[in-house]
Amino acid sequence: MKESILTTLSRHLLLILFAAISIYPVLTVVSISLRPGDQLQSTDLSIIPPNWTLNAYRELFTEQPFLRWLGNSLLVSTLVTLTGVVLASIAGYALSRFKFIGRQATMLAILTTQMFPATMLLLPLYILIAKLHLVDTFLGLLVFYVSTALPFCIWQMKGFYDTIPPSLEEAAHIDGCGRASAFWLIILPIAVPGLVITALFSFMTAWSEYIVAAQVLQDRDMFTLPLGIKSFQASMSTQWALYAAASLLVSVPVVIVFLGLSRYLVSGMTLGAVKE
Amino acid sequence: MGSQSCGRLILVTILALGCLCHVGCGRSDSRRTITLWHQMVPRDRVMLNRLVEEFEASHPEIDVRTLYKETEELRSGFQTAALAGIGPELVYGPSDVLGTFHAMGIVGDMSPWLSANEASEFVDGALTYLPDPHDPQRRLLLQVPDRFGNHLALVYNRNFISQPPTTTEEMVELAVANTIDSNGDGRQDRYGLVWNFVEPFFAIPFLTGYGAWVFDDSGKPIPALDTPQSVAAYEFILSLQSEHGVVPRNCDYETADSLFKSGKAAMIINGDWSWTDYLETDEIDAAVAPLPVVSATGKPMAPMVSPKGFSLNALVDAQAAEDAMQFVKFMTSETSQRKFMEEVRILPSRKKLLDDPLIQEDRTLAASKAQLDRGRIMPVDVELRAVWDAMRPPYQSLLGGSTSPAKAARRMQHNALASIDIIQQQSAGTRHLWLWQLAGLALCGAVIVWQRESILGFMPDFRRQPFPYLLIVPAIVVMLATVVFPFFYNVVLSLSNMSLRNFQEWSIVGLRNYVDVFTEAKFFGVLLKTLVWTLVNVFFHVTIGVALAIALNGPIRGKAVYRVLLIIPWAVPAYITALTWRSMFHYDYGAVNLILGKFLGLAPLNWLGEPGLAFTACIVANVWLGFPFMMVIALGGLQGIPQELYEAARIDGANRWEQFRNVTLPLLKPVLAPAVVLGGIWTFNNLNVIWLVSNGGEPADQTHILVSYVYKAVFSFYRYGYGAALSMVIFFMLLGVSVYSLQRTRATESVYV
Repeated sequence: MKESILTTLSRHLLLILFAAISIYPVLTVVSISLRPGDQLQSTDLSIIPPNWTLNAYRELFTEQPFLRWLGNSLLVSTLVTLTGVVLASIAGYALSRFKFIGRQATMLAILTTQMFPATMLLLPLYILIAKLHLVDTFLGLLVFYVSTALPFCIWQMKGFYDTIPPSLEEAAHIDGCGRASAFWLIILPIAVPGLVITALFSFMTAWSEYIVAAQVLQDRDMFTLPLGIKSFQASMSTQWALYAAASLLVSVPVVIVFLGLSRYLVSGMTLGAVKE
Repeated sequence: MGSQSCGRLILVTILALGCLCHVGCGRSDSRRTITLWHQMVPRDRVMLNRLVEEFEASHPEIDVRTLYKETEELRSGFQTAALAGIGPELVYGPSDVLGTFHAMGIVGDMSPWLSANEASEFVDGALTYLPDPHDPQRRLLLQVPDRFGNHLALVYNRNFISQPPTTTEEMVELAVANTIDSNGDGRQDRYGLVWNFVEPFFAIPFLTGYGAWVFDDSGKPIPALDTPQSVAAYEFILSLQSEHGVVPRNCDYETADSLFKSGKAAMIINGDWSWTDYLETDEIDAAVAPLPVVSATGKPMAPMVSPKGFSLNALVDAQAAEDAMQFVKFMTSETSQRKFMEEVRILPSRKKLLDDPLIQEDRTLAASKAQLDRGRIMPVDVELRAVWDAMRPPYQSLLGGSTSPAKAARRMQHNALASIDIIQQQSAGTRHLWLWQLAGLALCGAVIVWQRESILGFMPDFRRQPFPYLLIVPAIVVMLATVVFPFFYNVVLSLSNMSLRNFQEWSIVGLRNYVDVFTEAKFFGVLLKTLVWTLVNVFFHVTIGVALAIALNGPIRGKAVYRVLLIIPWAVPAYITALTWRSMFHYDYGAVNLILGKFLGLAPLNWLGEPGLAFTACIVANVWLGFPFMMVIALGGLQGIPQELYEAARIDGANRWEQFRNVTLPLLKPVLAPAVVLGGIWTFNNLNVIWLVSNGGEPADQTHILVSYVYKAVFSFYRYGYGAALSMVIFFMLLGVSVYSLQRTRATESVYV
């Protein structure tokens, strides 16, 4: 069925409006990064400031260990993503398809881990990390990030599996497929949008986290990007241009990851999959 | 193919984990390490690194590691590290935190390393001593400074002002002459005078000029904020705004800074850390001068001055302390200080250097010295922090025009006394500790009895179907690893008296903190605000997210471009975009007011100055930050809806709305439900946005939600026990609401079951 022009038009209008709202504040960040003299605020509204300069970007790559931080962040985020996706996809499956003892309690327990204000977790978390000698290791960070990302990821995957009719697996069983291979061959491919969201979310959790990283990592060479960026900030003498430039560069990999993954999100692939 | 790639994945993971552990063990070095946490500004860091290299060259057995931490982070990080029994050997910063560190017992005495003779080489008041808690006759040396100052002065733009004012009358005259609206649009193109309106630190010179001070003259830290002198000072400040109109409407540090740097302010009051920057800004011709004499009193406006320097961690062993002190002596030596003085134009802490001809030759240093001589040393008492905190809200209201000088002063004094009571609270532990241990055991027992069927049924069920258990165990183990200890630690903390005065020797006091939570008058107001915050945010996140996902779903031109643009608020780190939103809400220069004025003809709104509007501003910023996430989830969810269902609905004659209600929504529910429930929890506990957009609860602590309230209690008032109790209350509220809503919506159940 063809859409009426009016519907298409209103779709575009909505999207254009929100696209504009989305990018305007970020354009301000661009403007800060180009401004000479480290000013957060400006008294005019021009996006390209007068006597703009790319110094901040140059300094990031030549005088600051930006690439090193980038490498650290990529390593941590990739590992968190892999671990998160693997653990969440299997745990979510168990929660969606099986009735077992403690299932409801588990679902709730997973949620409860998110309910405690992070402010108060920092102190005991730091003591834990210190006692386990995990200060200045990525392992401590990895475990924490995975456990932060997992609750959402597990629930999310469970939600996706829930929308897949169990009849598909039953059919597979009849065809002589075992439980594991039915999961691997039938269910997972259909749940790809869920996996994409899980991956994106896990990646973002690790990519932008800063507070815990500041506790765990004390060595400047091991800094992740958010920590590196935060080191440009000082009360009343922040290097705003560097801060803004680095923040913008940080978002580039996210956009790339999203672009790479999003064809699975908005492809024409329909779950019906049975007939087209 | 499938199992192959699975195997590869596991292999990669194991290898990578190996790498991580390896990195962790890294750096084997025979040198002894000392770590320094400092908060030097970028310009100073370059110098610091150079000096560290010099030191290491002359002390080959010592490795100095420096780590920059922002002021507040350094303070809270050092406290936390001390509780964990580790931490840097040295911390570097201004002296005002020493009272706190001393009360907590986390900084050590440095006097064994500094003879009386050596001590006499420092400027009077530069070395910070505090009484030994165990022996009141003894004084402990808690900081050895490498500089002295950290003071405010007047910076003026010589393009507009040839001679700096010497009296406040002249200052007002110059300011009036330089407050210019060249095109007559009612918006000033240049202001006469700007400074940071947010921090009372910047009001001190006005107070001293009128003969007021933060504490009374008993020599004890008793606040004296409500005096005729201070009211006169506030009246003067207010007259600059209301009578002379020479200062802007709302002006935080960054606004003042930008105005001055871009030549839109003729004078600024700012500290010695900022001057070099101004001198080097090409657009202006800046010069520093001492603050003027108040015409009404004949007294000079005197800023607070304080030393900055090194303090020693109380927990380090003798060898580490020895090494650390070697470094401190090197850093505070005459040669090192001279370098800092020459390079960054900072006043030294040694008498000899202060008399150096360089100071008289350099105009900035000379003005700085002249200002320093008029300054008053900043007290190091813990009470000062309570005073700042008490002054901030009324001072902000005063400049926001919502209170009078007399009322502001009265409220400051009242708040200060109350805050000091809270900070100084000291209490003994309960003698009935066993009672609490018994209660804990009884609770565990009750849970076991209550869940006995599940516990007994577990093994048979595991034997019957091990598969689901095996799938879920890895995830559970990872989560428990990071959650269990912190949770129980907080349970214990919430029953304890941990605070500034009971920092390392805290004990169980029972339910007192919980009583405090519910009896504190503010609690229910803040709770209500938190609920509004959560509901409004989640509502807009979901509706905007789903609407955009539906608009994006299906064939539409430019889909890829839209997708990328719409994901951007999620992709760019919130710690910068939240600040951007803050500047967009600025009264004079923010985009929001300009747009509202231009397109809707609305008068400008004082977004950041009015409590309700400031809260709205926080919500707008957070909605912006959150909708892309929901959009992505909804996009994923829409893929799971079979097209046949829509066809079937159409055949049944359903219109678009009915299709949405009866097909899209129910099938989106299982995918959206976790995002909504968790989104609600995250929003409820979202500290960052409120903190950044409202700059820590401005105006006047009116924009707090529960978590920022907890944050403030813990980090401003050191009420660890109270903070933990409030956190437990938050936890149980969220738990209750989640359980209820999950049962109501049956979100845990599959649609096909």
